[in-house]
Amino acid sequence: MSVSEALATGLQTTVVGLSIVFSVLIIIMLVLYCFKFIFAPKEEKAQPEPPKPVEAVKEPVAEEQVNEEELIAVLTAAVAASLNTSTYHLQIKSYRRVGNNMPSWNKAGVTETINNRF
Amino acid sequence: MESGDKKVLESLINFLSETGIAKMFSQMAQSAADGNWLQVVGTPLMIAIACVLLYLAIVKKYEPLLLLPIAFGMLLTNLPMEFTQKLMHPDFFVNDEYLIDGHLNIQLICSEGGLLDLLYLGVKLGIYPPLIFLGIGVMTDFGPLIANPKSLLLGAAAQFGVFAAFLMALVLGALGLGFGVNEAASIGIIGGADGPTAIFVTKSLAPKLLPAIAVAAYSYMALIPVIQPPFMKLLTTKKTRSIKMAQLRPVSRTEKILFPIIVTIVVALIVPDAVSLVGCLMLGNLVKESGVADRLSNTMKNELTNIVTIFLGTTVGATATAESFLNPQTLGIIALGLIAFCFSTIGGLLLGDLMCVLTKGKVNPLIGSAGVSAVPMAARVAQTVGQKENPSNFLLMHAMGPNVAGVIGSAVAAGVFLAMFK
Repeated sequence: MSVSEALATGLQTTVVGLSIVFSVLIIIMLVLYCFKFIFAPKEEKAQPEPPKPVEAVKEPVAEEQVNEEELIAVLTAAVAASLNTSTYHLQIKSYRRVGNNMPSWNKAGVTETINNRF
Repeated sequence: MESGDKKVLESLINFLSETGIAKMFSQMAQSAADGNWLQVVGTPLMIAIACVLLYLAIVKKYEPLLLLPIAFGMLLTNLPMEFTQKLMHPDFFVNDEYLIDGHLNIQLICSEGGLLDLLYLGVKLGIYPPLIFLGIGVMTDFGPLIANPKSLLLGAAAQFGVFAAFLMALVLGALGLGFGVNEAASIGIIGGADGPTAIFVTKSLAPKLLPAIAVAAYSYMALIPVIQPPFMKLLTTKKTRSIKMAQLRPVSRTEKILFPIIVTIVVALIVPDAVSLVGCLMLGNLVKESGVADRLSNTMKNELTNIVTIFLGTTVGATATAESFLNPQTLGIIALGLIAFCFSTIGGLLLGDLMCVLTKGKVNPLIGSAGVSAVPMAARVAQTVGQKENPSNFLLMHAMGPNVAGVIGSAVAAGVFLAMFK
């Protein structure tokens, strides 16, 4: 093969090859854009996914609005980690602080039991 | 008494002539007689190269999961041994003397082959690379790609290096380096920055070049953090590098399940030769995303990938004999591999720049460089370079889109080459 032949073959393959690669990926891209229209709007309405056993009890605490978002992010991550799933599948709708209204003898008992396990 | 001494001496000489040292010297003497000076020093030189690679893998930690078995395979195959004692006979797979009409002589390999010959069948028959893709599929999250479909274009643009290197290899071949279209295609695919894909193409098109191409591909993948940043700074401006991109939309489970199925169908319809790679990639991904077969996905991404990696690395390394490795072609491959990587990076970056202009500054062009498919190394480089310009910028997830698109893109490019030249 001479240099000019090599150049011709090479350029031809480059044009054909790159256009095939682009066309395959563009087709996939178009399909994904369709996804966006099919799935994304639904997402907002029908968000309540299979209700996972999230600690979703009512009475949101209204006091600490400041770190609300961060707290919810932390809660979602914690629940996701303990359920061994992705945060995509979870939605924290509400949470309730389990206050310290436990009698102190009860608290002492719990602490003792936990310590005994170590 | 004297005859007893003679016997002892004789058996001692016999033993000495059986040792590796004697073999090495007799091989050297023969090569010297043939006038093949490169091969005279071949065995010790190859053992030295293997040791350097072992050093890079163990001390420098360059892709140790692959480089370590590759380097040790290289060591094993170059130990001076009798032909029948050898663990690996690369000649069985490439030398016409042992092939039947260009096909493998399976009977010969099974009866005469060593351990590594038998394991190498998995490479030669195209079994290992798809199995590795199965594991990669489980480990890949296509979420960022589904959320930002434009990423696919960047993954395609980064295949530019594959074809640029192909062109250059052909020209070099015409100038006398002995690369035909098959060899050029195998060299070009190094630019896809995807080890299994490169091996898959090379074993079909140019099996003699397999060791050099595998070593080049894996070494440059380890060097991506060194190769890419200069181009990234050259082809982008300070302003575009610090662009923050909008947060990606959340992707539903249904989309993630449909994606692998649709991609497999689309790829199969257009480039059937890419299906063994893309199909396995998507099967692994589907098993993970469906969430109904956790046991399978765990096996695929852990045990199966690890086992296959050991077999693949060791046997590919073992094809690197002095005859196949120590020649000017290897130098050409190493140079062209670097060029392929550079042009892939440039291709991705240029399209990134174009997108940045077209979207009026919504796309950070740095993510284009992540279109080369070394996952997640290339995306991490984009993140690091971006953060240097703007410490509060997090490009990682945006760069993962082009990155996983690059995996699909390079598999498709491989399919194109196989369809054209096989």
